[in-house]
Amino acid sequence: MSQTATPQAAPPPPATAAAPAPVAVPDAAPTHVDTPRRLNQWQLIGMSVAIVFGLVSALVQFVGWQADGRAAADTEQLGRVQKIQSTLLSADALATNAFLVGGLEDPDQRAKYDAAIDEVLREIASASRAQEADLEVLKDLNVAVTTYATAVAQARANNRLGYPIGAEYLSGASAELRATAIPILDALVAANTDRAEGSMAGQHPFWLLLVGLLALAALFVLNRQLAQAFHRRLNKGLVVAAIIVLGVTVVTVFAAFIRDSSNDSLRDNEFAAAVSLANTRTAANDAKAIESLRLIQRGSGAAAEEKWAAARTEVEKGLGRADAVADWNAYAERHQALVALDDGGDWDRAKDLATTSSPEGTTAPFQDFDEETAAEAQKQSDIAVEDLDSGRLLALLFSGLTVLLGVVAAVAVARGIGERRREFS
Amino acid sequence: MRRTRLLAGALTASLALLAACGYDATTVPETKPSASSPSGSPTTDPVECSNATESYRSSSDRAAAVRELKNRNLLVVGVSADTLKLGSANPFDKFAIQGFDIDVAEAIAKELGVKLRLRVITAADRIKLLKSGEIDLVVRNMTMNCARWEEIGFSEVYYNAAQKVLVRADDVAAFEKTGVKSLAKKKVCAPTGSTSLDNIKSIESTAIAVGAANHTGCLVLFQQGAVDAITGDDTVLAGLAAQDPYAKVPDQDGLSQEPYGVGVAKENVDLIRYINSVLDRRRNNGDWQSSYDTWLKPYLKDKNPPPAPTKFRG
Repeated sequence: MSQTATPQAAPPPPATAAAPAPVAVPDAAPTHVDTPRRLNQWQLIGMSVAIVFGLVSALVQFVGWQADGRAAADTEQLGRVQKIQSTLLSADALATNAFLVGGLEDPDQRAKYDAAIDEVLREIASASRAQEADLEVLKDLNVAVTTYATAVAQARANNRLGYPIGAEYLSGASAELRATAIPILDALVAANTDRAEGSMAGQHPFWLLLVGLLALAALFVLNRQLAQAFHRRLNKGLVVAAIIVLGVTVVTVFAAFIRDSSNDSLRDNEFAAAVSLANTRTAANDAKAIESLRLIQRGSGAAAEEKWAAARTEVEKGLGRADAVADWNAYAERHQALVALDDGGDWDRAKDLATTSSPEGTTAPFQDFDEETAAEAQKQSDIAVEDLDSGRLLALLFSGLTVLLGVVAAVAVARGIGERRREFS
Repeated sequence: MRRTRLLAGALTASLALLAACGYDATTVPETKPSASSPSGSPTTDPVECSNATESYRSSSDRAAAVRELKNRNLLVVGVSADTLKLGSANPFDKFAIQGFDIDVAEAIAKELGVKLRLRVITAADRIKLLKSGEIDLVVRNMTMNCARWEEIGFSEVYYNAAQKVLVRADDVAAFEKTGVKSLAKKKVCAPTGSTSLDNIKSIESTAIAVGAANHTGCLVLFQQGAVDAITGDDTVLAGLAAQDPYAKVPDQDGLSQEPYGVGVAKENVDLIRYINSVLDRRRNNGDWQSSYDTWLKPYLKDKNPPPAPTKFRG
């Protein structure tokens, strides 16, 4: 594509040393055009368009990369706080159930309780490190868990002596746990769910498309100006820049769209399943603890049963996702048998049903349900985190590459318009 | 060039801001604490009657009494399982419910010749379950008063309790010297809604009332140093003192009399008469004294059985 300079404008008149006497020249506006200056301006504009496109497109991609990273971290933090919640109520279910047999509690159950409290305290420390916004409430949670564990220890000490005050310490600890620690955990779950869902919506294919179209439009207008000035339809440099902009836009819009769809799918499936399963497990452990508390606080069956029924409703909301429906149903049936025994005045057999480790008791199907639900919740959460984290390095590299391509496009613009300048000279 | 630099600067700043941006701190929504008054006065007007401790004349007609049971072979008695020394589960004896009240229930079942079933009930359910017919009797430190006579029937008095005060071991001397006045500006606990704190405040107005769910809840607060004293029936305080060697019930006159009777459905007069005959026998044959000595004497000093009644309802 050879191009010949065909300047329309006449060269500027030579400067004169002294101006002649003023002569009235009405309507004699200068008609010449300063072509080199205009070429400089166009070159600057074209380069700016290419660089701004590269930077803004890279910025939008960077925001998406950052949002996916935050979504992964927020999902991980959500899984962590839900695990704390489930484990804490699991500890309460273990403590209340172990209490029922008197001072000589099952060593395995005691070890599980200790392990649950250890895990809760470790996870609180991890959660504090992972999300600074949660730090203040996690400090309060730490105090609440420590207070709970202390009261349970006092309950055990009194239970070994056979004093009824042990039951008061334990039921007080359980009530305080639900009044203090659980609202904190509910707030943490809500905040991290909002954060994770918000971050999953951090891909912006529309903005990438808009930035690309604006850059292409600017390059098109610039090319038209050049074409009008030099009677050549296309400027090679501008064409190269436009191809780069178009290519980058197509690739990034497509990638962002795929990512956005994937995040939507993740939010509605694996993420939602992880949240729902964790809620189910939390409510199930609450139900098991309430079952033991009704037997500890003898005579309070009716009030306890209302709470148990509320927990059951919460569990059954998430049962559709759980693979442990049969175990839950078996537990719920045996719980009803336990209630019938207790209400009928046979507390001893009701207590045996609650505390026996044999498959006929309430504990065995409950434990199976708890373990299966915990494993499934963890699996779904891991899938969500892994998916959000996958391909992020590539996205970051492409974000950096976009800046470079913007620079390349700018150089192409500079060379294309520079060629015109040379021809004009 | 200047514009380009400005643009580049703005973009760099945006990137830096994006990299540094964070979340708002997590907050826990505040919940309004439920209002509760530790010394709320009863809302019902007192019911007048000539003598709340008057019951029916005793009778040995066992058959008539058994006919009034819900199940002819079974006596269902509402009791407490967490009031040490009156009725509490003993973890060292297969969680058998034992205590002074339980001795009364066992004696009645034995003399009726029927099997005994103890049903643990809360204090709030005592009258409701009797009226609904779910239980035959209540033997759960139940004070006889005119308002309750309006709803149910009572046996004669099987124990004369009194409202007393439990204090720390190092406050016993001061209490025995000046009585309730020694509780000036001290925190005194009683179950929420109980009127017993009013008796303390009427003597020492600067005493600070603190409520708890029940008397054992008061003992938890006492052990945590949150309250200095607990007030309630001497029988209940005996159970608390038995669980804590630093909790003492000093020698004192009772602030109010709390006569305990066996609660029975109002229409089961034959059952009430037979129970009274059982109580008479226990008073006379030494069973009452033996039971008292076993459960309460170590904490409440010597006491004799309530005197035989001289007036009857019919």
